[in-house]
Amino acid sequence: MSPVDNEEDLTRKQRREQAREQRKAMEEASAAEASQRKRLIQLGGVAAVVIVIIAVILVATGSGGSKKAPAPASPEAKSAQTAVTSLLQGIPQSGTTLGNPNAPVTIQYFGDLECPICKEFTLGALPPLIQKYVRSGKVKIEYHSMETATREKEIFQTQQVAAMAAGKQKLGWNYIELFYHEQGEENTGYVTESYLQGLAAQVPGLNLSDWSSARNNPEYANVVISDAQAANRAGFTGTPSFLIGKTGGATQKLEYTSLNEPASFEAAIEKQLKG
Amino acid sequence: MSRPALRIAMIMLATIGLGVASYLTYVHYSGSPPVCTAGGSCLKVQTSIYSKLAGVPVALMGLIGYVAILASLLAPENENTRFATLIFTLAGFGFSAYLTYRELFSIHAICEWCASSAGIMTILMLLAIWRFLRGAPESHDSPLAGSAQAPRAAQLGAN
Repeated sequence: MSPVDNEEDLTRKQRREQAREQRKAMEEASAAEASQRKRLIQLGGVAAVVIVIIAVILVATGSGGSKKAPAPASPEAKSAQTAVTSLLQGIPQSGTTLGNPNAPVTIQYFGDLECPICKEFTLGALPPLIQKYVRSGKVKIEYHSMETATREKEIFQTQQVAAMAAGKQKLGWNYIELFYHEQGEENTGYVTESYLQGLAAQVPGLNLSDWSSARNNPEYANVVISDAQAANRAGFTGTPSFLIGKTGGATQKLEYTSLNEPASFEAAIEKQLKG
Repeated sequence: MSRPALRIAMIMLATIGLGVASYLTYVHYSGSPPVCTAGGSCLKVQTSIYSKLAGVPVALMGLIGYVAILASLLAPENENTRFATLIFTLAGFGFSAYLTYRELFSIHAICEWCASSAGIMTILMLLAIWRFLRGAPESHDSPLAGSAQAPRAAQLGAN
């Protein structure tokens, strides 16, 4: 083969090679583009599924549904009434104070009846404390109002006064306990006049006519205000909050570590009893 | 950012998120108040009706989510594990967005632990999208490229 033939052959080879490289480059670019398109479709698909799932969760949990007080004869109400009656039976009450008036230690419980955290405490750490210390006359518990979970000031005052009005018949704690036992979902506007009356109808022995009259007593509205001032002075920022001290003496904040377990409350009570 | 560095950064973020979710899960089950600089806001969020979904604490869901993300990041990297990380982080981001909405408009309180988890999840999701769209290192040198280089080398050798 002559050198000219060799050169021509090489040029042809180079051209073929160049064309092949161009083709390969185009194929690579096309494959990369297809791969990227596939990833974008996958990304869009996953994002769409996530959006749909979140939308479903939002709709499912959105309204929350307003909860009315169960009918006094309903199984739910009966169960709550039984629990509350058995917890409080035989323990003296005065207004919204539970326990022996001469108990050596007083706990002030600042709560909002719509507050789910207060419910947690009332159904969690509180019953063993009542059984151990209140029933035996060592501790009395005063319930005070502090607005946190309830959004509307008027509704807050109305519901807290409803409990105080039951307290006039020495059944305040029955009303408070029932409220927490049957508490509705937060921010659903479930506390209405019929809800409050429905609860009152479930308190065994409560004279509904006297209770209704007592609710108009302006003194209770002043108690709500003075409770708020006391909470403010104590520096409370949330509910439930507690003050503890010897009855008639100075009080101090009760710091708790759990609302379900009574241990930290018991430690604070024992300290007061021994001190 | 190199691919290993991106993966390590994501693993670190997921580990921090796992720590936050573990703490919130512990707080939920122990009933103790969370350490919070915003007064009772954390406690309010942690004990609101929205702290559970279908009876399952959302903190526990977050914990499971971070475990899934971490597992997908620690698994040998390939298209499937990158896609899995993308799915988990997108789901986590969506859920965090829902919870933040509930904090702002339903509970009216912000829990700083939850907000930090939402922030971590958002960064993780952005990084996961970036990582997924970048594809594998070999996608720049596709299988076709390997075969194209061989004759070229042969040719250079011949020259």
